[in-house]
Amino acid sequence: MNLEKVISGFFIILALTLNFGFFYGDPTVLEQHNRYELFAAIIVNLIATIYKLGDKTQLGAVLLATSLVADIQLIGAASIWALGEYVTGMNLETVTAIISFSGGALLANIISVILFTGDVLKSKR
Amino acid sequence: MQNNSLYLIIKRMRTPMYVLVVTFAVSILGMVMIPGVDDQGNPYHLTFFDAFYFVSYMATTIGFGESPYNFTYPQKLWVSFCIYLTVIGWFYAIGSIITLVQDKVLAAQIALAQFQRKIRKLEEPFIIFVGYNSMTRQIIDRLAHDGIRSVVIEKNEEKIKELTLEDYAIEVPALAGDIRDPKVFKTAGIHKHNCQAVVSLFNNDVMNLHVALSAKLMNKHVKVIVEATQDDYAQNLKTIGADEVENPFKIVAKRVYLSLTSPSLLMIEQWLYGDSLVLRKKDRLPRDGKYIVCGYGRMGTALEVGLRRAGIDYIFIEASPEKAAKARRGEKVMVGDADDKKILLKADVQEAACIIAATKDDLLNLSIIMAAKRINPDIYTIARENRIADTVVFKAAKIDRVIMIETLMINKTYNVLARPLADRFIRLMAYRGESWGKKVVELMKSHINNNPDTLETVIDENHAFALVRHINETGEEIPYSILYRRRDDWRQENQLLILYIRRDGEEIMLPDPSLPIRIGDEVLFAGTREAFEDVEYIMENIYELHYVMQGKECEISLASKLTLDF
Repeated sequence: MNLEKVISGFFIILALTLNFGFFYGDPTVLEQHNRYELFAAIIVNLIATIYKLGDKTQLGAVLLATSLVADIQLIGAASIWALGEYVTGMNLETVTAIISFSGGALLANIISVILFTGDVLKSKR
Repeated sequence: MQNNSLYLIIKRMRTPMYVLVVTFAVSILGMVMIPGVDDQGNPYHLTFFDAFYFVSYMATTIGFGESPYNFTYPQKLWVSFCIYLTVIGWFYAIGSIITLVQDKVLAAQIALAQFQRKIRKLEEPFIIFVGYNSMTRQIIDRLAHDGIRSVVIEKNEEKIKELTLEDYAIEVPALAGDIRDPKVFKTAGIHKHNCQAVVSLFNNDVMNLHVALSAKLMNKHVKVIVEATQDDYAQNLKTIGADEVENPFKIVAKRVYLSLTSPSLLMIEQWLYGDSLVLRKKDRLPRDGKYIVCGYGRMGTALEVGLRRAGIDYIFIEASPEKAAKARRGEKVMVGDADDKKILLKADVQEAACIIAATKDDLLNLSIIMAAKRINPDIYTIARENRIADTVVFKAAKIDRVIMIETLMINKTYNVLARPLADRFIRLMAYRGESWGKKVVELMKSHINNNPDTLETVIDENHAFALVRHINETGEEIPYSILYRRRDDWRQENQLLILYIRRDGEEIMLPDPSLPIRIGDEVLFAGTREAFEDVEYIMENIYELHYVMQGKECEISLASKLTLDF
């Protein structure tokens, strides 16, 4: 067992699950989406990104790219939320934008996990 | 992520980034969860945005105050904890960046990346110099004036700093690296098609051999120019394919030989090395009488050959018995200190015509000359100067001829790199003899002046557009005499002389002006700068060419010629 693999797997999968947890629910009803979950998803995604930094391999580069995409999508969702709450006011458009942004991040996270598991399966041990 | 320096930064910054993210997350989460009281006394929670905003300016120690309402005591308690947490995290991150900036490994990586970028962008032909010293410094300087680019590889970083302070006409990229590492040559761009030559002028023959070997193995098309002062190394270098093996002592010996047998050739040679075309009285070595050579080292043995061939009576004085023992049988080698009066007297210095101080110690050479002059004031003195820095002292000593090894190497290497035709001319000239030399000197003096310049050019599209076009279009044979004509009056001749032409391996010394011009000819001219300007115009410009050929201006103007072409 490789402790490094445990930690990296933990953060990459946690980023996906938290992202999914936030995304799951009616996309038009904001009450079905927990703000704490979005916060946690952003933080875990950031940590996962830093974890992937500095990997010189081809796979590392792609993993980093997916992570960066997820970061941008999630931070975008949070920014829209703050904008809706303080500037434009919450309406249906804002709410769906928040959820669909996190949905995009979810897609990136899924790709990231697929790549990660693929790499694990590929290695002999 | 091919760039090592970026990778290094990211790798080092990972831990500070974790610390920052975690401390921010903990602080923000706490701020959101702890309930506060607004200005009306109602309980409320900070939103994530409020918390993020507050923590951002708290952590960076900007501190705008409590927002959006004054904090309650539970909040203040949490904030005081967060202050220490986040500020420490923040300072840790900044501290890491600063240490990174000062990091030597990173600095070296960045310098390497910059060097690689410069080499990648280098489009012009360039020359790699291995080792940076007073010799290569001057060669690079002279090449830079001619617009030839150089790249330096040097082991000692102090010397590279020296190089960056130097004010060259064009930028000289320098790489800190040991030449024994093959990667270094690759980084310096030896595999590039525009890498013309590798120059290695170490005092150490082993080092030069090493450079030549690895350079030839990496790119066999590159020209390798090395110094070798010992014959067996010179042999080795030739076998591995070094294109130019320079031995300064051989040049010295050859010059001594030339000045004894054919002073005109010596004059031409010195002129091609950058002197003026005159033979001073001092340049004439005495032909009658004995020569005393002090030092039977590398220079002494080279001189031995020259003097023997010139038929001069000579004797050697050598301090080290081992070196003296190497002498061939029949050679006169005395063992002793050459600046010792007794030894000098024993070598008949009062009768001798010339004394050559040829040791590798500049001070010893000076004292030999002084001692010899005290005994025999009329003796002709030749001294070897090893270091350029000693020039002032040698000047003050009023020596008839000072042989500066370093300057010799500088001139020779410069000629090989920038004036290959002149270098070849010198080599070919040696077989021609004194009468031929005299003829050339007289020709030059009558046609040009006492101090002509040289010009090397190739008859091709880039250097002689008009000529090449004319020859291709008409197929007519144009003699070289066309180039002698003046642009302002075609009936008059310029102060010009063609010394040497190389075409397809054929080599023509002092060609007749009626020789037809062939495309691809490499030509060495002697003449004045004004004459060279005319030559270049005639070769490049169709109107100038037309004028000197026909003796009248073109009837068709430039504008109509252009429209006719379309």
